[in-house]
Amino acid sequence: MSSQRQASSAAQVPHLSPAELSYLYTSLALPQNPIRPDGRSPTQFRPLSAESNILPGTNGSARIGFADGTQAIVGVKAEVERTVLISDTLDVDQDAETVEGAEESASAATGGHGSWVQMSIEIPGFRDDDALPVFLAEMLRESLVGSVGGNEDNGERHMAGGLKGRLVINKRWHWRLYIDVLLLSQPLSYPLPLLSLTTHLALLSTKLPKLKSTGEEDPFFDDDWAAAEYLYPRSSTINSNPSQQVRPPVTLLVISVGENVIFDPSREEIAVADAVLAISFTRNSDSDTGTDEPLKLLLTQRGIANSETENGNGPDSAAAAEEETPGVWRPRRGGIKRSVLAEMMKTALKKGGVGEEVLAGLEGVEVA
Amino acid sequence: MPLDTSTTYPLTKLRLDGRRWNELRLIQAQISTNAASSGSSYLTMGNTSVMCSVHGPAAGRRGEATGSAGSAGAIVDVDVNLAGFAAVDRRRRGGGSDKKSSRMEVLLRSAFQSHLYTHLYPHSTISIHVSILSADGSVLAAAINACTLALVDAGIPMPGLLTACTSGMSGSALTPKDPRSDELDPLLDMALPEEQELPFMTIATTTKLPVGEDQMDEEQETGISFMSMDAKVHSTYLETMMAVGIDGCGQIRELFEGVIKSSSRA
Repeated sequence: MSSQRQASSAAQVPHLSPAELSYLYTSLALPQNPIRPDGRSPTQFRPLSAESNILPGTNGSARIGFADGTQAIVGVKAEVERTVLISDTLDVDQDAETVEGAEESASAATGGHGSWVQMSIEIPGFRDDDALPVFLAEMLRESLVGSVGGNEDNGERHMAGGLKGRLVINKRWHWRLYIDVLLLSQPLSYPLPLLSLTTHLALLSTKLPKLKSTGEEDPFFDDDWAAAEYLYPRSSTINSNPSQQVRPPVTLLVISVGENVIFDPSREEIAVADAVLAISFTRNSDSDTGTDEPLKLLLTQRGIANSETENGNGPDSAAAAEEETPGVWRPRRGGIKRSVLAEMMKTALKKGGVGEEVLAGLEGVEVA
Repeated sequence: MPLDTSTTYPLTKLRLDGRRWNELRLIQAQISTNAASSGSSYLTMGNTSVMCSVHGPAAGRRGEATGSAGSAGAIVDVDVNLAGFAAVDRRRRGGGSDKKSSRMEVLLRSAFQSHLYTHLYPHSTISIHVSILSADGSVLAAAINACTLALVDAGIPMPGLLTACTSGMSGSALTPKDPRSDELDPLLDMALPEEQELPFMTIATTTKLPVGEDQMDEEQETGISFMSMDAKVHSTYLETMMAVGIDGCGQIRELFEGVIKSSSRA
């Protein structure tokens, strides 16, 4: 029973005929101004409604709903945990021949560890150990823990070591962050951007209790929730530059069709895309205020797991060998052009580009 | 001094969250919250919040509908999802669904399978998906209420609103009731700390639709359609608990009628 249900919901590819797919491809590949089925411009997102801090029992939470009815809710819970130091759980980019365990442990105790952030995604119709939820969770988690944060300057507290560093309480204790993502409806379109935006919003609203103990004491917290501090510190002064603040990363889905770069693709658009890319980026807090690179790229990867793509025909399938007939669509083969890839990055990351717009929009969601 | 209901209630006649014995928590309900489903609702009772969406009635899945049960009427299929962040401590789950949520699925299915007019939709399935976002007592009651609202939103016919609430006693209530010194009060709408400490039951009532001659009567007849209790209580207390519960269900029904009417007007 459950496998049947899964098969129906996992079918990301809509039932379109080769002629329809060809039509779609041609209109999306029109040079300069592609025509999208829903009339959006290439960089326009679907309308969405968002709210944060909706659940009283969590450290931070958010809900985002697209107009088509897909909704996601994210709850973030934090727990205090004793830091256990086993040498192979540490970041081993330190000297391998470090003899003293103490030195190694110090690096992990101050730098944090990626496994302190746990992410789980629940999608109706999928078990939580199915390929899609695991793939999405790992993709989101990786960019989250991979984002190394800003430096300490201007006297204002920055997040050294990024999220991992923020989770360190002292050498013996740390926070463990559980991020639970709940997709409330069957995925009508590929859910990655929705989940990423919701996670971002939930993390922005996440608060941790204020620490009262100091140094290496066992942690002891302020009872007053009103005194709690944001996980990602907000600017206390108005004139401080927002681009200086460390922010959780956002992962966007970008496709290329012909020479065109299209953001926030719908399911039909993904079906005919030449390349589907997930771009994770965050505010570039390392740089000085004057640089023209306000965002930094964290990672790009194939947006979709192998099993989910290719419209039923893998690149190796027999259909690919046939003659190309005009008016009949067949899956594209081969990789992505360098110039297109560069264009994708540029549109996403440039000053005043899509990425900045998204971050600014999410920042604007009232954290009540 | 331990802060629990059984010690503080006899002294103050106030419960831990400051309510009197017959007070409900703040209830907020919305319907049509999710455009992607046939019907949906969002309900909060105090800090318990539940989201529910209904799909269907739709063609039943192969294999099920061919059975004898499928041909007679629609099958109600309930899926309960207790979010990892719902409880106080984050719950670790190892794949699949756990015991608590599958028990709730069974209870909800039995409550609605008999309640809805399923005979109008032979060979079809009505699937209900319940997400518990925050669990702070009376979870089952909140789930029933949210399902009712979502089913109304989906336009599935039923004889009346099925509303549920919990009722308990302000002490362990294991010995027979003493009519001379009656020191235990019944409590309406249990919160999580009360639920963990005191005996309670979930009760759901519905109204019978007035037909024919009864149509003239203003007073609608109410009947209990669902009851579930996991705790031990002496039988002499049962009547009080039920009476309080039925009263609470009535209050919730009035509230829901307002919600439904105002949303259809908009």
